[in-house]
Amino acid sequence: MLKIIIPTIMLFPVIWYSNSTMIWINMTSYSLMINLMTLPLLNQAGNNSNNFSLTFFSDSLSSPLLMLTVWLLPLMIMASQHHLMKESMTRKKLYLSMLISLQMFLIMTFSATELILFYILFEATLIPTLIIITRWGNQTERLNAGLYFLFYTLIGSLPLLVALIYVQISLGSLNYLVMNIWFQDMSSPWSSNLLWLACIMAFMVKMPLYGLHLWLPKAHVEAPIAGSMVLAAVLLKLGGYGMLRLTIILNPMTKIMAYPFIMLCLWGMIMTSSICLRQTDLKSLIAYSSVSHMALVIVAILMQTPWSFMGATALMIAHGLTSSMLFCLANSNYERIHSRTMLLARGLQAFLPLMATWWLLASLTNLALPPFINLIGELFVIMASFSWSSVTIAMTGLNMLITALYSLYMLTMTQRGKFTYHIHNIKPSYTRENTLMSMHMLPLIMLTFNPKIIMGLTY
Amino acid sequence: MKLPILTIIMTTIFTGTMLTMISSHWLLIWIGLEINMLSIIPILTKNQKPRSTEAATKYFLTQATASMLLMFTIVFNAMHSGQWTTTNIDPNNMIVSLTMIIALTMKLGMTPFHFWVPEVTQGVSLMTGMLLLTWQKLAPISIMMQMFTSINPIILLLIALMSVLVGGWGGLNQTQLRKILAYSSIAHMGWMMAILTFCPSLTMLNLLIYLMLTIIMFTMLNMNTNMTTLTLSNLWNKSPTITMMILISLLSLGGLPPLTGFLPKWIIIQELTKNNNIAMATVMAIMALLNLYFYMRLIYSTSLTLFPTPNNIKMKWQFQPKKRSLFLSPLIILSTLTLPLSPVLSTLN
Repeated sequence: MLKIIIPTIMLFPVIWYSNSTMIWINMTSYSLMINLMTLPLLNQAGNNSNNFSLTFFSDSLSSPLLMLTVWLLPLMIMASQHHLMKESMTRKKLYLSMLISLQMFLIMTFSATELILFYILFEATLIPTLIIITRWGNQTERLNAGLYFLFYTLIGSLPLLVALIYVQISLGSLNYLVMNIWFQDMSSPWSSNLLWLACIMAFMVKMPLYGLHLWLPKAHVEAPIAGSMVLAAVLLKLGGYGMLRLTIILNPMTKIMAYPFIMLCLWGMIMTSSICLRQTDLKSLIAYSSVSHMALVIVAILMQTPWSFMGATALMIAHGLTSSMLFCLANSNYERIHSRTMLLARGLQAFLPLMATWWLLASLTNLALPPFINLIGELFVIMASFSWSSVTIAMTGLNMLITALYSLYMLTMTQRGKFTYHIHNIKPSYTRENTLMSMHMLPLIMLTFNPKIIMGLTY
Repeated sequence: MKLPILTIIMTTIFTGTMLTMISSHWLLIWIGLEINMLSIIPILTKNQKPRSTEAATKYFLTQATASMLLMFTIVFNAMHSGQWTTTNIDPNNMIVSLTMIIALTMKLGMTPFHFWVPEVTQGVSLMTGMLLLTWQKLAPISIMMQMFTSINPIILLLIALMSVLVGGWGGLNQTQLRKILAYSSIAHMGWMMAILTFCPSLTMLNLLIYLMLTIIMFTMLNMNTNMTTLTLSNLWNKSPTITMMILISLLSLGGLPPLTGFLPKWIIIQELTKNNNIAMATVMAIMALLNLYFYMRLIYSTSLTLFPTPNNIKMKWQFQPKKRSLFLSPLIILSTLTLPLSPVLSTLN
């Protein structure tokens, strides 16, 4: 794993020693090379034998997420080029350093064996994200957004620290490889309920669960493009990844304790999708759609069947790519008209036809069109939840309908119809933007042909 | 103050604390505490302002009360157990254990005897405040670490929990930086004392890291003589690197991973959980977030809300830097980046 971590750390000297003409070229090309080196990780044998050391390992759950993380770094760098154009050199380098340090923490988080190391790095990802949101965001609400983001996550995760230490003392070790063999069932007194809650709430806040989702629209909307991309695509999946790792020690309480959360998720899915239909702010719409998709992932993880785990992992990867692409598209709008309001730029298909193609593809994957992996994920989750309880099909089916509604609403609002009269200086799409969109779309299309690699642990 | 006089007073302060730390006879410990207190009074009044005199008076009154209580406890203990060593205090003697804790926590500035800390720290200059919050903690903590087996854990845990609460909530409404650091000191003392009855080496660890961070904070604030949040927001004009260092140091003081300030909180939570004090650990951890909130406010006003371009309206006239900042860089690195060195702790006994 060091062959990925050390090059990522070495990107720091690359940033600080590049001159002003070469910095973007250097960063993008070297992060793409790190991508290439991470690809062999996807070749997973089924017997969990990819243990690099006592500290780092990779299995079929963490390698797709790891791949997603390293894939996103060059995309984030490409997306940030425009809005950092006017900044001074030091500030550009600081921004890129924040992105690289976030990347380093994320890679280590997804490959950590020891759960306390996972916790420390999970919290460590908060600091660069906070700095990116608060320092480089564009509106005054970014201050509030940073505080909400930091404190929601910390309040949820401090009980997790206490719970992990308690589990370590009672089980003997928190090394994931050892825990697979040494795990015991949680006993049934009421204090185990509290232990279960303490373990889960951190990840519920991160996912986010419907009642605790207040930080997400704020943080996503106020963050600059790279911040939104990494938040939507990777940081939310940290919650899902953590929950999937902890399911071993949380048995058998999950069968009983999961009920309120499943109900909140099912209702929250519909609520947040419906809010999307009434949004005027484009980034806010995409942020609420993230809550809706992640609610499905939470339902899947709490149900603990092999198909639901496959669906959860596939949905996480698919949603990561789709949501990041939607934020890039929204940002391309924002850079032209300097506003996130959807009404101000309509009928863009007449001006930017190629970008309209990307809008179409992104909206289609967002509404889980066959044969994309979004559909595979959602279908597995919906089938698992139907087998768990037949009533859920009403909610999940309704959610799929409303998702289709708002995705098409977003598409037709921005692309179709008569263009607005006051927009007369839309610059044509840059090659950089088209590359960005195609690099989001190509993995989605190619994974359609072999979804086995993103199906996770129970394939 | 003239240099020979300052030297004599500083040496006396040093001697007082050293006398307390190396003694095992209660009388000498008390004498050391008194020498320390009396010699710091001229340092507090160095400023010759009425506010400093008021601060010195408050400090003197509370510390004298604590010393008197300590003397009472010492004599009472000698009367009942017949010996003057620190390691043999009878924990079953209710009066002795209670008044001992009261006296020592009053010296340290822990709840419910914390009321003097913000006011005294505010009334003196920055460097004197640093001396107050760092050096003055050494003597009482060394006493408590010598006698930790005789302390009533329930009372100490209660005081520690209340200190964490008061340190968090009290600092929320402050804009004066010295008061913010005073409330931070109250909260950190709470963390240190919570673990004393279980594992005193962790009190030492927390004390060391807290001392380093407080010295760094005061030094950085002293560079521009910033005393309020408002003046701190001009720091980006003078030295942007110091704004970044303030960011990292405050995050470390607030206990965010992956910085070193997380290490004492983590290990203290671990020891408390091992001793089945899970509720206390959780409550203290969540209350530490209140501390983090007002550090975040400071961070927002210094480094995270900078103008996109430098402006010349708020520039201060750039004189040659006169204030020395010894050891600032090594201290910053030690107090923010050494979390990966935490396995070293297993070599301590």
